[in-house]
Amino acid sequence: MRKIIVFVAVVGLISSCTKTEKPLPIFGQREVVNGDTVYHKIANFQFVDQDSAIITNDTFKGQIYVSDFFFTSCRTICPIMKTQMLRVYEATADIPDVKLLSHSIDPEYDTVALLHDFANRLGVSSDRWHFVTGVKDSIYKIAQTSYFATAMEDKSEPDGFIHSGAFLLVDKEQRLRGKYDGTKEEDVNRLLVDIKRLRKEYE
Amino acid sequence: MSKLSVLAVFVIVLASCNPSKKPGRSVKFQQYFVEGDQLYTVHCSNCHQKSGKGLGLLYPPLDESDYMEGNLSEVICLIKNGKRGELMVNGQQYNQAMPGIPTLTDLEIAEIATFIYNSWSHDEGIIEVQQVTKMLQKCKEGT
Repeated sequence: MRKIIVFVAVVGLISSCTKTEKPLPIFGQREVVNGDTVYHKIANFQFVDQDSAIITNDTFKGQIYVSDFFFTSCRTICPIMKTQMLRVYEATADIPDVKLLSHSIDPEYDTVALLHDFANRLGVSSDRWHFVTGVKDSIYKIAQTSYFATAMEDKSEPDGFIHSGAFLLVDKEQRLRGKYDGTKEEDVNRLLVDIKRLRKEYE
Repeated sequence: MSKLSVLAVFVIVLASCNPSKKPGRSVKFQQYFVEGDQLYTVHCSNCHQKSGKGLGLLYPPLDESDYMEGNLSEVICLIKNGKRGELMVNGQQYNQAMPGIPTLTDLEIAEIATFIYNSWSHDEGIIEVQQVTKMLQKCKEGT
């Protein structure tokens, strides 16, 4: 009897070591339509980036992307988020199918020209990192309903906005696959690992 | 004897573990420096980074900074009142508005100044609250 238990334990251990990694979760509601599971997806959007290019869902066709919400005059968590997003930018420099998308939640102040200057000063290219502005309500709505991130105006806050420091990982089907605290280095390390895991799904 | 050397090693290790202390400085300096370190972490490091290296051409570095060297009174004023417009640091032009922190007391500003002027590449010694109070009285409009 004892031998069997040991045997089972050993087999269990071995199988848990060789087991393939669990895929990343798929966030949001899902429903079954005609036998197929339909997942929550990023809603249609249209914004303008730092080069005045129109950015839509199609911009990220066949791409994995990381998204966040910030504004250039923010002095609280945004500079930390940008420091961390810069790490993601640098870590994914040689990966052609990974892009970054930063939305301004103060789009009236953050004009195309201002975002252009901001991106230049950060030393990043619009090929891989889009800073977008657009209709304020559209940005707030997509933050909350598509990315499950908080973004809204609040005059009582020191900077005038409430927003989360979340980084959101989106797959090639525009499904939300991960949420990370963009102000914490360890959480961003986890994001970097998850980007690799997500890319493996497409190999 | 061996006990003594173990103790000596222990003390050295302990001392080197605490980066926010400078050897050979007065107790007052240490107090300013340690308080300044904490205030810097809360109010400044988001942009200028804990390393003092700044971020790209958005937020200028404090580590190596020719601007800081010649402009102590301006630095004191901009911590309190903020700064707008172009600023040249090490031959690079920066232009991101820095919000002031008017709620800081003169002592807190002296502590922050002591911290930044004695960290990284800087070694200027203590910046006393009396100096800071005098400098703050002479701040120009908008700096």
